[in-house]
Amino acid sequence: MSEIELTGLRKVFEGGVRAVDGIDLTVADGEFFALLGPSGCGKTTLLRTVAGLESADGGTIAIGGDDVTRLSPGDRDVAMVFQDYALFPHMSVVENIAYPQRVKRVPKAERQAAAAAVGADLELAGLMDRRPGQLSGGQQQRVALARAVAARPRVFLFDEPLSNLDARLRLSARTFLKRLQRELAVTTVFVTHDQAEALALADRIAVMEAGRIRQVGTPQEVFRRPANTFVANFIGSTPMNLLPGVAVEGGVTVAGVRLPAAHSVAAGTELVVGFRPEYATASAEDLPGALPGRVAIVEHLGTSLLLTLESGDLAVGVTVPEDAEPAPGTSLWVQPRPDRLLLYDAGGGDIIEA
Amino acid sequence: MMPPVFTPAAFVRRIGFYVLVGLVAAFFAIPLLWLLTAPFDTTPAYGVQVPDFTLGNFRTLLANEQAMISLGESVILALGSMAVTVGGAALAAYALSRVAVPGRGALLYLLLLLSSVVTGTTAMVPIFLLMFEAGLIDSRAGVVLVMTGGLLPAAIFILKDFMDATPRSYEESARVFGARPLQILWHVVVPITRPGLATIAVWATVQVWGNFLVPFILFTDPAKQPAAVIMHTFYTEGGQPKLALISAFSLLYSAPVVAMYVFVSRRYGFRFHGGIKR
Repeated sequence: MSEIELTGLRKVFEGGVRAVDGIDLTVADGEFFALLGPSGCGKTTLLRTVAGLESADGGTIAIGGDDVTRLSPGDRDVAMVFQDYALFPHMSVVENIAYPQRVKRVPKAERQAAAAAVGADLELAGLMDRRPGQLSGGQQQRVALARAVAARPRVFLFDEPLSNLDARLRLSARTFLKRLQRELAVTTVFVTHDQAEALALADRIAVMEAGRIRQVGTPQEVFRRPANTFVANFIGSTPMNLLPGVAVEGGVTVAGVRLPAAHSVAAGTELVVGFRPEYATASAEDLPGALPGRVAIVEHLGTSLLLTLESGDLAVGVTVPEDAEPAPGTSLWVQPRPDRLLLYDAGGGDIIEA
Repeated sequence: MMPPVFTPAAFVRRIGFYVLVGLVAAFFAIPLLWLLTAPFDTTPAYGVQVPDFTLGNFRTLLANEQAMISLGESVILALGSMAVTVGGAALAAYALSRVAVPGRGALLYLLLLLSSVVTGTTAMVPIFLLMFEAGLIDSRAGVVLVMTGGLLPAAIFILKDFMDATPRSYEESARVFGARPLQILWHVVVPITRPGLATIAVWATVQVWGNFLVPFILFTDPAKQPAAVIMHTFYTEGGQPKLALISAFSLLYSAPVVAMYVFVSRRYGFRFHGGIKR
């Protein structure tokens, strides 16, 4: 078993910046877990603290039930893949992959054979004698992964493992990474600022802001029901509509239009009404529970179009099929799906349960 | 295209420029020419002349026991100081590069300033007294210590730059795999900073190889004097320089330094700043 348990973990940098501010988190054995957040939210610091490269200023870290908070990185039985891969430029691929075993004083022939086997699994068989400088970005990334695999750790820690690859390669590397993690079934924590990457790879995601976790959940939970407006804003490849509204009996009004919604707040309470552009339909005629607007901007997303409508002072986004492109200036009505409508507290931004 | 047109004035200026450059080149080349011709001349003189070829001067030199011993002493002193300087400077530069010591910039510059004093002429009297009190007169270790003391600051200064240019993620990666600080230094930092270490090694060796004053003062026993000091004893009783011996000795004395420069330059390229060729 190698679950990771963080309790009240804190890391404060000189100058009082609380990079990690009281984190309680449990990553299950074998889970593929994403730390997601904007730059500067403390996600990388949290990962480095788990690795032992930063010392915790408070709280505890346990791996597989053992308290490792005060252990040095090498004694925690973790392997880390760095954003720049940190491959040793003076060593060949096979020497790089065999390095964790070299530190453990495994005999040379044995560790090189093991490295060759791991390398072959990661499609590096023909490259074992090259230097890292002679490899492409994708190959370097696989060497870094192979080196982590060769260490046979209890936990993998990946710091932005895909961000140094170009966009095309990133997609295939993503699939590769997910398959590798499934096969090895080693508890894995990875850091990313790319919400699409987190949604695609992770079993569960922790969304972070300013050193704190704002929501933990499966990709589906985080995407469908963001726990607050911060997560709502951050998740999704199209920005979620977050419109000011007022509660009424059995619904909310947005810009004078009544939308049906189940809630338990008093009528007249100010709210934020959220719905994704994908969870709304655009129609050419007025429907009940539809917001009127004029098409201002049309963005092509491939199989769909993202329309931004001007509705009074508000901007409302909606996606439509690729073959239904309206001319700018067209009047349309946007009808959110009632079962995908989310209500948030206007002050704190937390979700209001039905 | 128009052919280039020279006005007479420009033509004269150009000729004057080449004559001047030629003179400057000759000024530096003639001593070197002497070094290449005189050792092979039966009657070497102060001037450069086409040699009346002979290897007799080298036979005289090889027979001169004191001269040969002095070359051995030079090797011991130079390699000893080089080893201590490179080892000490590598450890110190690594520490200074990785640990934020308050005022380390000022400390380094101060050390650099003082280092030119330590092996300089002005400090010879206190150094002699210090070594005398420490019982290190006529001791090779003493000379190595004094030379190392003078070389370390500049070596640390240059090596720190190489260490700074090594990405921390390399070391952190090794740390996570369980490498201890000395393993990290040996497996990762030393190989990556090898061009810097090689530069420092050659520079330190050459500094000691060519130093006259420190061994001259700290060795009273002529048998321990290195080549740089021995050379000034090659005079006849009448006070005439033994040019045959001096010229052959000079060539032999220069050869290792030249060979070392060529070797390190070919292998690593001389660099006094950090940076990694991936």
